[in-house]
Amino acid sequence: MTLRDLRYKLDKKEIGAVELTQEYLQKIKERDGVIKSYITVCQDGAIAQAKAAQTVIDAGNSKPLTGIPLSVKDNICTEGVRTTCASRMLEDFVPPYNATAIEKLNAENYVMLGKTNMDEFAMGGSSQTSYFGGPKNPYSIDRVTGGSSGGAAAAVAAGFCAAALGSDTGGSVRQPSAFCGVTGLKPTYGAVSRWGLIAFASSLDQIGVVANNAFDTGYILNTIHGYDENDATSSAAAKGGYTKLVGSDISKLRIGVPKEFLDGSSDEVKAAVLKAADFYKSLGCEIIECSLPSLEYAVSAYYLISSAEAASNLSRFDGIKYGSRSGLGEDFNELIKNSRREGFGDEVKRRIMLGNYALCSGYYDAYYNNARRIRTQIRKEYAAIFEKCDVILTPTAPTTAYKIGCQENDPVKMYLADICTVTVNIAGLPAISTTCGYDLDGMPIGMSLTGKAFDERTIIAVCDRFEKDFERKECMR
Amino acid sequence: MFDPNRTAHLAELSKLEFTDEELLKMTKDMTDIIALMDKVCDFNPEIKPYTLDSVDYDDLRGDTYKESYPNSEILKNAKNTKNDSFVVPKVV
Repeated sequence: MTLRDLRYKLDKKEIGAVELTQEYLQKIKERDGVIKSYITVCQDGAIAQAKAAQTVIDAGNSKPLTGIPLSVKDNICTEGVRTTCASRMLEDFVPPYNATAIEKLNAENYVMLGKTNMDEFAMGGSSQTSYFGGPKNPYSIDRVTGGSSGGAAAAVAAGFCAAALGSDTGGSVRQPSAFCGVTGLKPTYGAVSRWGLIAFASSLDQIGVVANNAFDTGYILNTIHGYDENDATSSAAAKGGYTKLVGSDISKLRIGVPKEFLDGSSDEVKAAVLKAADFYKSLGCEIIECSLPSLEYAVSAYYLISSAEAASNLSRFDGIKYGSRSGLGEDFNELIKNSRREGFGDEVKRRIMLGNYALCSGYYDAYYNNARRIRTQIRKEYAAIFEKCDVILTPTAPTTAYKIGCQENDPVKMYLADICTVTVNIAGLPAISTTCGYDLDGMPIGMSLTGKAFDERTIIAVCDRFEKDFERKECMR
Repeated sequence: MFDPNRTAHLAELSKLEFTDEELLKMTKDMTDIIALMDKVCDFNPEIKPYTLDSVDYDDLRGDTYKESYPNSEILKNAKNTKNDSFVVPKVV
């Protein structure tokens, strides 16, 4: 069922907003103890919002998301609702304001079921760095959900919300969506305001959507997109109408398949993505082999840029103005150091250390500036591909979800696993991930469709066309 | 190659602190991570480093006064406050 179908049922009074919300809350209560997709469940708040939504529906004034129960990643500020970033540092932080995306959802009287689990400060690809304990994959609870929006993806997959807001700095919406067998959209940089999204790497961060299908991602983006005077990097080029092309003829499209992405992927992933390419070919699309030669530099460049920005953004957490305060520390510096030592987890500390190393005067040019040169080059290579193609097809991740505990303690291995997603953030492009197959263990395989800047509507339509013919396997719903 | 002294110096710059055991672990992690980052060092120096180009500096919002949040709201998240201010350890 799509969100549009839910909208229809709510408007036709086939189901009430309160009843619908209670159904989700009940599922969360019964089963999220195992999955741990939520950090905070807003039992009372959700019911109150649902009652308000029902009043709007009864008055015949419903908007697309009125009464629709969603979850929100715990790095997006929600007024009066604890927003932890899955960190001890923000364990008790209650924002005095809403992120712009939340304001836009509130204007339609949506229902927020709760705040979802994630990697601490969105730094990770497994969600296992969460201070509250990592979520588990609904397809197999001994596997990771992916990350950093692992709670969002697990909640959608398990049926604990109708859809979810996540955030994507290097693949954090798309990769967990791939691992949990759902659909994840990372919009163009600037399409959704970052105001109220707790900053990780400001030139790469973007709020995105996790949903059951491509249509729903566009349905929500229709509400949350747009220029915001509180975010100078948001763009008026984001025009809406993201579901407009769904159902249109895509047979004339040219789909590029860059060989470098397939070379580094497992055989099962490669076979599933090539099968998807064959599907599009059978529709009449032209499949074009293309190349992104600088992919080999992408992971290093991404980690240097994102960590440099993270080191700067996270310097505000001093235990005085921001973040939890240590009880130890006789002087000013000691207090700050102890607060940061106690408040941040290992991965966050590694990123801060790497970022500050890359920004040191002796290393700045060799590391940070070269990473920025690679960023220029990757953007050029994408532009060259888009002269010949309309959409680019790649795997979302080189493997399927791995077992919990198997690689989280090896940072280099974890970083290298981001190879398929980081270039999209580096280039600021939109991309959507959907399930295109299952491995021998039944774990979902994800493929990504990347589009031209601000052309979300094309990738949503191309993704939707695949989903119409692909049969998804249910997980533990 | 990282050694514990360099890690400790970087930790000082980062306002972080590690126990001896943590310092050794961080030194090993940083050595491995920097080895991966070294990949960028031989990249073509002729290419111009990227600068975010999406901000239109001719169309920034006006420099106009707007009521902010009341101090009491902002200070709600602080652990130690007095007289509408953050309390810090004695500096001088």
